[in-house]
Formats: sequence, C-alpha cells, structure tokens
Amino acid sequence: MHYEAPVREPLIIGDKSYHDITVDVAKPVETFAPKSWWVVFTLSLIAFLWGVGCILYTIGTGIGVWGLNNTVDWAWDITNFVWWVGIGHAGTLISAVLLLFRQKWRMSINRSAEAMTIFSVIQAALFPGIHMGRIWLAYFVFPIPNQFGSLWVNFNSPLLWDVFAISTYFTVSVVFWYVGLIPDFAMIRDRAIRPVTKHIYRILSFGWGGKAKQWQRFEEVSLVLAGLATPLVLSVHTIVSMDFATSVIPGWHTTIFPPYFVAGAIFSGFAMVQTLLIIVRKMFKMEDYITIQHIEMMNIIIMLTGSIVGIAYITELFIAWYSGVEYEQYAFLNRATGPYWWAYWSMMTCNVFSPQFMWFKKLRTSLVFTFIISIVVNIGMWFERFVIIVTSLHRDYLPSSWSMFSPTFVDIGIFIGTIGFFFVLFLLYARTFPVIAQAELKTILKSSGENYKKLQESNEHGH
Amino acid sequence: MAETKKYWKGIEELTNSETMEKLRANEFGEVSTEDFLGDKEKLSESSTTRRDFLKYMGFSTAAATLAACEAPIVESIPYVVTPEEVIPGIPDFYATSFYDGHDYASIIVKTREGRPIKVENNTEAGINGGANARVHASVLNLYDATRLQQPMINGEKAAWSDLDAALGKELAAANGKQVVFLTSTVLSPTTKKLIKAFGAQYANFKHVSFDPFSYSGKLDAIAAAKGKRALPMYKFQHADVIVGVGADFLGDWIGQGVSADYASRRKPGKKMSRHIQFEANMSLTGASADKRHKIRASEMGATLVGLHNEIAALKGAAKLAGGASNAQVKAAAKELVKAGSKALVVSGSNSADIEAVTISINDLLGNGGTTIDYTTRTYFRQGDDKAMTALIADMNSGKVGALLIDNLNPAYVLAGNTKFAKGMEKVGTTVYFSEKNDETAQLCKYVCAKHNYLESWGDAKPADGIYSLQQPVIRPLFDTRQMEGCLLKWMGGTQNYYDYLTANWNTGILGGTRWDKALHDGVYTSTLGTMVVAETPEEPGFIERIFGTEEAEETNNTAYSASAAAGRLVSIKPKDFDLSFYRKAGMGVGNLANNPWLQELPDPITRVTWDNYLTISAADALELGLKNWTESNGALDGDRVNLKANGRMLENVPVLIQPGQAKGTLGLAVGYGRKGAGKVANGVGVNAYAVMDGTHEITGATISKVEEGYHEFACSQLAHTMMGRKIVNETSLDTYLNGDPAKWNEKMFFETHKGPLSAEETNLWDDFDHQTGHMWNMSIDLNLCNGCGACVIACHSENNVPVVGKEEMRINRNMHWLRIDRYYSSDMTEEKAEEEGVGVIDKFDQMEDPSANPEVVFQPVMCQHCNHAPCETVCPVAATTHSSEGLNHMTYNRCIGTRYCANNCPYKVRRFNWFQYSENPGRFGLNYSMNDDLGRMVLNPDVTVRARGVMEKCSMCIQRTQAGKLAAKRKGEPLKDGAIKTACQQACDTGAIVFGDVNNTDSQVFALKQDKRMYHLLEEVGTQPSVFYQTKVRNRA
Repeated sequence: MHYEAPVREPLIIGDKSYHDITVDVAKPVETFAPKSWWVVFTLSLIAFLWGVGCILYTIGTGIGVWGLNNTVDWAWDITNFVWWVGIGHAGTLISAVLLLFRQKWRMSINRSAEAMTIFSVIQAALFPGIHMGRIWLAYFVFPIPNQFGSLWVNFNSPLLWDVFAISTYFTVSVVFWYVGLIPDFAMIRDRAIRPVTKHIYRILSFGWGGKAKQWQRFEEVSLVLAGLATPLVLSVHTIVSMDFATSVIPGWHTTIFPPYFVAGAIFSGFAMVQTLLIIVRKMFKMEDYITIQHIEMMNIIIMLTGSIVGIAYITELFIAWYSGVEYEQYAFLNRATGPYWWAYWSMMTCNVFSPQFMWFKKLRTSLVFTFIISIVVNIGMWFERFVIIVTSLHRDYLPSSWSMFSPTFVDIGIFIGTIGFFFVLFLLYARTFPVIAQAELKTILKSSGENYKKLQESNEHGH
Repeated sequence: MAETKKYWKGIEELTNSETMEKLRANEFGEVSTEDFLGDKEKLSESSTTRRDFLKYMGFSTAAATLAACEAPIVESIPYVVTPEEVIPGIPDFYATSFYDGHDYASIIVKTREGRPIKVENNTEAGINGGANARVHASVLNLYDATRLQQPMINGEKAAWSDLDAALGKELAAANGKQVVFLTSTVLSPTTKKLIKAFGAQYANFKHVSFDPFSYSGKLDAIAAAKGKRALPMYKFQHADVIVGVGADFLGDWIGQGVSADYASRRKPGKKMSRHIQFEANMSLTGASADKRHKIRASEMGATLVGLHNEIAALKGAAKLAGGASNAQVKAAAKELVKAGSKALVVSGSNSADIEAVTISINDLLGNGGTTIDYTTRTYFRQGDDKAMTALIADMNSGKVGALLIDNLNPAYVLAGNTKFAKGMEKVGTTVYFSEKNDETAQLCKYVCAKHNYLESWGDAKPADGIYSLQQPVIRPLFDTRQMEGCLLKWMGGTQNYYDYLTANWNTGILGGTRWDKALHDGVYTSTLGTMVVAETPEEPGFIERIFGTEEAEETNNTAYSASAAAGRLVSIKPKDFDLSFYRKAGMGVGNLANNPWLQELPDPITRVTWDNYLTISAADALELGLKNWTESNGALDGDRVNLKANGRMLENVPVLIQPGQAKGTLGLAVGYGRKGAGKVANGVGVNAYAVMDGTHEITGATISKVEEGYHEFACSQLAHTMMGRKIVNETSLDTYLNGDPAKWNEKMFFETHKGPLSAEETNLWDDFDHQTGHMWNMSIDLNLCNGCGACVIACHSENNVPVVGKEEMRINRNMHWLRIDRYYSSDMTEEKAEEEGVGVIDKFDQMEDPSANPEVVFQPVMCQHCNHAPCETVCPVAATTHSSEGLNHMTYNRCIGTRYCANNCPYKVRRFNWFQYSENPGRFGLNYSMNDDLGRMVLNPDVTVRARGVMEKCSMCIQRTQAGKLAAKRKGEPLKDGAIKTACQQACDTGAIVFGDVNNTDSQVFALKQDKRMYHLLEEVGTQPSVFYQTKVRNRA
C-alpha cells in the first residue's frame, strides 16, 4: 500500500469505512430529492425552455433577431461559445492531467468536474451551430462526401479546426468519464432494490463484476485515456484562440493567444468547479469528501491561472505599444478608454485583481468568499471574451465602419437558456449518477483517510 | 320476359368443359415454394438476386413517394409570337430621355425579355449624359404598385371613355373663364407646341410654368441683363478658377449636369482648376472645393457685392455701394482676376439680385463665351414664380374655369401656401396628370393616370441645338395614357402622339436626318443652329412685367440693375437663424420619393438615410443645448426642434449637427414629408416646402427645442474622421507637382530576412500566377469622385441589392455592396499632438471631432478583391474563393453564414443577409423591388437574389465580365480595353472609376496602376487588393 507522509492533510475526513463511502455516495441516487433541488431544477428548466424558444425564433426568423451588425458579426454567440468551452477545461485537467501527476486529491472532485466539462461543452457546441445563418446546412462543415461532388471543406480555416477540436474533446471526455463511471454504476446496481432501477444500472455498468482482470483493464484504459485527454486540454482552447489569432483584426491578431486562452480556460473552469462543488457539497452533505483542503487547492490554481491571465493582459498592452502598429495601439487604447471601457475594467477587476485575495490563507479557506470569487471570476471571464470579440471588431481599420453592439432579448435569452440547460443536466446528473468516484476514492481511504492517518500516526509513535 | 343468357370467358370454356372444370377447381392455384425456390441451380442462374429485388422495391417505393409530392408550379408563359428583338438571356438597350419636371438626363435603358431593368448613361449626349442617382433609380418607380392604374373621377376609379366624355363637356363649359395649363418647366418642344395648339381652342388660355425648386429670380435677372429669359450654358471645362457662392453645382443646381465638365479639370497637373466655395450648408460642391469658406446665407449677396468690388478695384472698374469684404474675398478676387476670362463665378439662389450681381462680376471678368455661354442657352429651368402667384390670385378670385396640371405636384410643393389649396376649391374643373394618387390628385376632380417615362414617347430640348428623344421601352403596364395623348384625344383628332411627335421632328427639327437614326442615338444635335420651328416663342412683354415698362429700356444697362440689386442685397440684415433649403442627392425635389433605393441612399455628406433634418453648426447646437448621441447599439439619435420660418411653423424637426455648417445658419432638405407618394415615402421626414416661400434661403428663422422625446436617425456612418490614419491619402497640388512621391505617397516596407520588402512582395506563401490570362483591377480616382452616389444606385440596380428599411439601417445593417465613405478633417493631427505634447488618450479623443470647417473627402469602398484575401482563408466551407483573374468570388449556395469572413475583412465590405429580404412582404414590404410581383420585375435576372443567412458582397459585376469575355470570344478577337464596364464605372460620369485588365499593358487601368498617385487601401495589412485608389490632390493656394 502507498504510504503517505503524515504531514499531508487527510483527504477523507471522519471515521469512514468502505461501506460508509458507498452509502454516502449512493445516497442522493437512492433517496428522493430535497425541496431545494426541485426549486433549482424548476428554475433551470424554465430558463432552458426560454432559451429553446429563443433559439427556435432565431432559426425561424434569421440571425437578424440578434444585436449583430455589419461591423460586429460575432458578439454574444461566440463569447458564450468560448466561455463555455473554457469552463469545460477544468474537468479534463482534473481527471487527466492530475491523474498523470498522481494528484490524489482529484479523486473526490473529478467526477463532477468532468460532468461539468461535458455539460458545458454541450452548451458551447450549441453556439457554432446556431450562430450559422443557415444551420440546416451545418453538415457542410464536415469533410464528408456530399451531393455537390468533390466540394471539400477549407482546411485553412480555424473554424474547421474548431469542429475537429471540439468534437474530439467531447468524445474523449465522454469516454473517459464513462469508463470511470462503470464500477460506480455497478455499485449502485448492486444496491438497487427496484427492478427497473436495477435494470437501468445493469445496462449502464456494462456487466462490471469487480474481477481483478477488470480492475486491471480499468486502470490501463484510464491511463491511456488520460494520456489522450491531456494534450486535448491544451489543444482545444489553443485552437479556439486561433479563431482570433489567425485573423487580421487588431486585438485578435496576437501570437500570445494560445497559452493565454488555455490559462484563462483553466482559470474559469476551476472557478465553475468551485461554484458547483460548494453547492453539491452542501446539498448532498459531502463535506467529508470535498474538504476545505480541496477548495483551497483549487483556489491556489485559480490564483495562479488568474495571475497568468493578468500577465497576458499586460503583455498584450506592452506588445501593442512595442509593435508600433497604429491600429493595434488604438485597439488596446480603445478597449481601456473607449465606449466599452466598462467591459474592459470589469474584466480586469474580476480576473486580475479578485484572485489576488487568494494569497491570504484565511480567504482561500473561506467557503463564502470562495463561492463569491468563483462567480466573480466567471463573470470576468465572460467579459474577457466579450472584450476580445466586440471591442476589437467594433472599431477596426476603417473608421467609416465603426459601430457599436447591443444585445437583444434573444441574445440574452439564449445565454440564459444555456445556463438553464447546463444546470438541468447537472442537477439530473447529481440525482442519478454517483457524484464522487467512490471506487477510486476507496483506494486512498487507507492512505489518506483521516482515521487511518491517525491510526498510522499512533502506530508510528508506538514503535 | 326473362331470358337466360350464357356467357363464356373464352372459346375453351364453351367447348372444352373438361379443362375448364380443372381450372375452375383450382381458381387460386398455388405454385409451391418448392417449385419457386427449390431449384437452387435455376435460382443461382437468375440475374435477379434477393438484393436486387430489395433494390427494385426500394426504388419503386421511393419513386412512388416522390411522385406523390407536388412539384412547385412556376407559371411562365412562352411567347406566342416572339418579338423580333427579344432573345431570352440577351439584353436590349434603348436610348431614351428622363425628365420628371426637375431632373433631365439622356440615358440608355437596358431591357431583359422586354422588361426595363437598368438605367445607364448615354455617353453620346451633348448635355446631361451623366444621369444622377435619382435617374439611375427611376427604373424602379416604373414597377411601383402604388402607381395609378386607371383614371379617377372624384377619387373614384373611372374609365377613360367616361373621363373623356365628362371632361370634354366641362372644358367646353369652362371656355368663358381662364383655362390654365400648369406645369413645371416643359423641356419638350413638341409638348410645348401641342399645349399651344390645345390652348388655341380656348379664348382665355394660359400656360404657367412653375418649378418646385425655382430659379425664377435668376432667370429674371438674366433676362434683364442678357435679353433672353433662359439660363446660359456654363462651361466648367474651360474654367481655371471657379468661385461658387452658395451654388451646389455638383449636387443639384440649375439642371445642367456640370460634374463631368468640372471633373475634366480636376485631374492633378498644371491644368488643374482651382475651386473656392462660399456657402452656409455643407454641400457636395463645398466638399469638393479646394478652399471652402463659411458664410451666412443672408450674407451671400453682400459677399458677392464685396467680391465684385474687389475685382472692380483690381480691374479699375466702377464699384458697387456697400458689400462685405475680407481677406478670403480679397484672395478669391485676386485669383479670379488673374484667371481673367477663364474664371467663373456662380451663385445659387432664386434671388434676381444675387444673379444680377453675379452677372456683373462675370462681365467684369469678361468670361462671356469662354466659361459662360450666353448665346447657347439651357432650358432646364423656365418656371415663373410671378405667373404662379398671379395664377393663385386668379384661382381665388374665381377667374379660373379649368386648371390642368402636369409634371408638378403643387399641393405638395406649395404646402405652405394655404391660398393654393383654397384656390383649388374655386376652380371649376381640375385635371391632374399623374402617376400617383398624390397630394394634388386628392384635390383634383379628374385624375388622368399617366404613363411612366419608360412607357412614353417624348422629346426634349435641353439646350440650344441639342435635342433628345424619349421612347417607350415597355408596353404600358396599366390603363394609363400620357398627357400628350390625352390632349390630342380631347382636341378631337385621331392622331396619336407618336405620329404627332415624328411629324414635328421630321418637319421642324431633324432637317433631313433620319428619324430612326435620331431615335437610335436618343440624342440629336441640330445642324440648323437655333432655328427651331416647333418651339413656342417666348412670351413677349415679360421683362416689362418685372421691371415695369419704363425701366425696360434700361435693362441692357448691367451696371444699373446690378447697383440696384447690390443696394437691396447689402441692406439685408441677418436676423436669428438663416435657413437654407437644399436638395439631397437621393431625393432632389421629391418627385421619385416612393423609391426605396433612393430613400436608403445615404446622404453623401451626413450619410443619413430615410430622413431629412435641420443641419446646425456645433457652436449653435451647444448654445441651444441641442445634441446628437448614439445609443448602445450604435444608432444615432437627436433632439428635435420646432422651426419657425416665413411666419409658419414646422414641428418636431430633428436636428443634426453638421461640421462645416456656418454659425447662425440652418439647412433643411426638401422632398420629404410626403403624404401621398406611397407606402415607402409617406411619413418619412418633414415637408420643408411647408415653410418655404419660393426663395432658397431666408433669414429670421427661429428654433425652439422640443423637450419631450427625441428623433431616431438611420445614419450609416458614425465616425466623422480618419483618426489620423492613412485611409484617404491626400496631398496638395504643389507637393504633387514638385514633391517626392515616395514622401507624399509613402509605400510601406517590411523588414524581412531578404531585406526590406514592399507589402506586395512580402508573402508567406508561394504566390499564384497572376500574369497569365486576365487580371481584373479597378482604379478609383479620389480627385474625380464628388460623392454623388450614382454608382451606389447603379450597383443596387445591377446587383439586386436589397433595401432593408430604416430600422435596420439604423443599426448598421445596410446591404450596400458599394458605399461612399465620407471623412472630415480634424483639428487634431499626429503632428500637432507631437508638437504640443498632447497625451495619447486626449489625442484620439480630439481626433474624433471634426473641424468646424473641415475639408471633406469621399472614398467609394467596395470589395477590394484582395489577392491575399483574409476572408478566403477563414471560411470553413470554402464558400468564398479566389479566381485566377484576381477576383474574390462568393458562392452563395455553399455559404452557411458563419460571418467569419465579414469579421476578418479589414474593409468591412461584406454584407450578411440577416433576414429574408426577398419575398418576405410582411417584414420587408417597403423593399418592393423584391417583395411584390410587380416590383420583382426590376430584378436583374443575371444576378442571384440572395437568401437569408448568406454573405454577399461586390462581385466586380462578374456577370458583366463574363458577358464581355463571351462576346469577345464569339467575335474571335481579344478583349478590348473598356469593353467591360462595371455598373459603378458606367454610372460615374466623372470617370473616377476605371475597371480593366492590368495584364493588358495597353489598358487604361494598367496606366493608372503605374501612376505615382496610386495606392492600395490598408496596404500594410498585406491583402494585396485588386482595387487601388489615386491620391486626392487639393489645389491649395
């Protein structure tokens, strides 16, 4: 058994046995939902349906129902897209990268983090579809033989790279997530009493029997998938950033974008994980598994990535000045002092200044403060994308075409709709899926569980 | 009686009962499956396998399903007898003339399958061969479904026969009283003759001409000074120095199209003319001027008197009393005197006094015969305000028995004159020839539904010795008649107007030239000089009417009338605000108002569409607390004022702050505020005629801010200035002639590992071969472009560009493939900021503000057809691609509408179909060129009407390029330079736009590409455009 130094904080609190973990994890699935769940679910469902209405209205009438114009041809649509993709980053990072680095603290959060990833990628994937003028021809973006003969996609276009990046990321994430879920589904299957439930979980668990060979394959597949998913963490947002970086628009045409976007994505992803886990932890009484230490770890990552993002902002400004390109200089000056100065300074405040509070241990271990900051960071990251997209476009090369953008109710409705859709999915997940990778967690109970650590300590002292 | 009949199915049944018996027993005899499938050998021999069977079944099911679907039925009716000239797919061109009582142009009309679809310039015309934006758009008015479709009596639809009968009786009864024919200027000699003949039937007949935007005073002054009440021919092509005082001769002036003549001297070089403009409103002319001075409208007279005196002082001639002079006037006088007979002073006003002084100045300069030709007259404006006043008085006193009105909408243009409407009630018989059930039609008993000009025969005599013909290019769409046809009918003859016209031309005008030839050319220059039989001689005695009989003798004495005029002019005291009325490039006097193309054409100066407004200087606006502001979506709003002028009130007039507007002055465009023009024009803007009293400028106007509410503009350009960027490259003539082109037309170089390379040589990729075949390029000369907007309309008409309406225009969703950017100069420049140490934030802040009297530049921008196109690389589906001929193509079918291309276009020329603009009458009904069956007839069948969700943009008129190449190929000869003209190029009468093949070293565009003025827009982005511009050169003193 793996030995863990006693100085490390325990990752599972309380006097837990394997069975206790099983019971705790299976509880939300096996009991009826609390009232609070129903309230949040209803609200989310309403928001989701409203969004569906707005999307149908857009498809039926035309993109003109959005606030876009001849100069600003993307705004909330792509802002939301990038925002959701960014949020989707933390899950894979936690489950894949941290797995490779043998970070055991990931075990109690990776399931939910990855669920979040998948649900937010679903939201993100909506936008490239619905932002098309002719969504009914969306299949044109796939390199499939079509009825128009040898008409092929344009491999030079970053939008096409997006298609591949997002679909690959989504597929690998789903597979990775699902593989991890199999032993846990089997656990619920084994405990299920009602035949229908049992049957469903039987199908979902792929006949998992907990044999040694199965465990061995499980571990191998997890490792392979982690290896596959890790480059994706970097590639997806790199490619998304290339939608902008390969263009000629001042404020977009920037080589710093790939790392800057990846850092921003992890930043916002972790913030979203914080938001969700603080709720889940409370709602399902998972405090013993999602400990303050977990929260603190993630806060440190938020602080780090927030600072990287801050450096990126400042580098952009410096390079704009240093390049000597008048359009670039104006673009950045306009961001900070032009008509959208409020968006820029919202972004700066939320993304650069607010995470700096995490230097204080008292603040980064405070649940309330963490929750607030996690929301603030996500607001900031939404503004970042808005600033990049709208303020760069609205005043580019020729002043004759300078313009402004303002969202319509449809823009707002679709955005709210995706938030609703996301929570609908997440809440359904939280009641039907094991929210903690209990099978994995059990592997560290004896090395990182509080009671076992204490036992170990007393043994050591006993020597 | 019952009868048993025996039926048998065959002879076998009748005869061989045994076999029958067997068969009957086994009616549904089974074939055993063993027989059918048992024989493996046979089965394997069969060519029909089970799979085949399924295939056949699948196919037949699918085919049956498909056959059950109803195919859309497109109703197209083939010709029963094909017209000789009409070949489907091949356009026909006919020369004709446009005249609507205000604008005149000699044009070529393009028809497809019998439908006129486009107006083009008639380059052979001696005068006004360059049609303006309105004339280019006029083809759409033919297909206006709100046109009158049959005559009306008392507002009820009627038959022509009833109208003829009823009206005949009434006219006969009216004979004791005055019978008056009221028109705008009649340009047609044949119509004049006919009106005279018609009038001869009545004892007391009068023909009154009245122009909506009248130059009656100007005509009176010319009559007094030069003996004939007709405008002289202005010859800008001979003018070295031009001084304009309130004359918007490049925009809308006295009807003579002078922009091409003016432009012929605006190419930079030693012969470039110098143009100084004094004006109150910022006009197109002022924008093109080398030097523009702001004066109050009420100071126009005093300035002219001052100019006169300065010239007189230099020439040693007699001065006039009074006059305002300053350094600007002195400098102008000096330059004028230096140019001598090659100088030209023009003024724009309806005041006889102003014209009298102008004539006197020009006489002092001695330019008669060089820049002003008083012997060759033009006839675009002949209206007589005094005759009109007299008519209104007669109407009110009940002296008028019958009033026939043609080509004029008096109820609209005299909206402020309550006496006219009252007088109409006292006229016994009112007859109105009109295409629309408009303001006047609602006051008239008999409304004769008129042909559109494209359905009519006619002629015109725009100037001495110059004639043109008008021919129908389509059968009348409705039950209409042309005015001349009505008159002939009512005169009781059987002759139709075509015969009347040909007879008149053959006897009086053609002088031996064949009619067919004249009709083919559309224009005819008379060799008979001024000898014209058909024309009505000028009414005698009109000079007496103006100056009284005693003074008539002295009218030849210029100095006398000029000094009297000067006396009156210098005594004008400016009071409150001066208000100048003007005509917009898109709307003119408002005749074609119900034309969505024109409503949506941005005003060249303000770039506002679908509106008129009060222009005001920033200083006055600040004093009165009037503001313009933009909403969060970029839409422009403005305060509103109540305007009081001429003792009348116009409420809720929106205010637009206009750089270059003289302090203390206001400008207001006529042609808006229609009530009876049709759904497009009704309710757009305010009716300036309601406060106009014949004069073009008044003093003593007051405004008061309306506190509640605000006005929503639809402005297509928010930014005023270039923000210190090199977008329009500009230099002075002196620098151009003597300076180093590398300095005034600096080329960008990039540091590379191969050393410094120009933008064209810097390349990441291996370049394509651009030397083989054609390489289409376009040159746009910023010196020749005056911003008139004709090219924009021509582009709409050629390329089926949709109209989106005011609400969409307001939020920057215009669909224009070609736009004309307008930039004002700013007081803040990069150099100034550096000198004064202004911080960068303040610098850009101040750069956004235009100067109080800015220099103005126009820049037509369409797709630049970049050879390294940013749009092409980013399209995920390769819907926009490059041709081997240097053009950027757009494949609508393939476009899925990601709009990435539009984002990545540095020129922002791509236009997205935000909605379904065609066949969507619910939302875009105003865009009738795409939304009703009649309007859709104007569409160019060579160009796809784009669907919702696709991107579109300038194609460089690819349909024309292809047609031109095919024509050359059929002839078996190489393509000639100039054989292919884009629509914008064809429409540009100044020749600012030149299109051609740069691989043909003999081509004009090749030469222009080598010009030292040539530059590419945003060259440093490395897009390598196929469009290039020629540096703007101002002739600064």
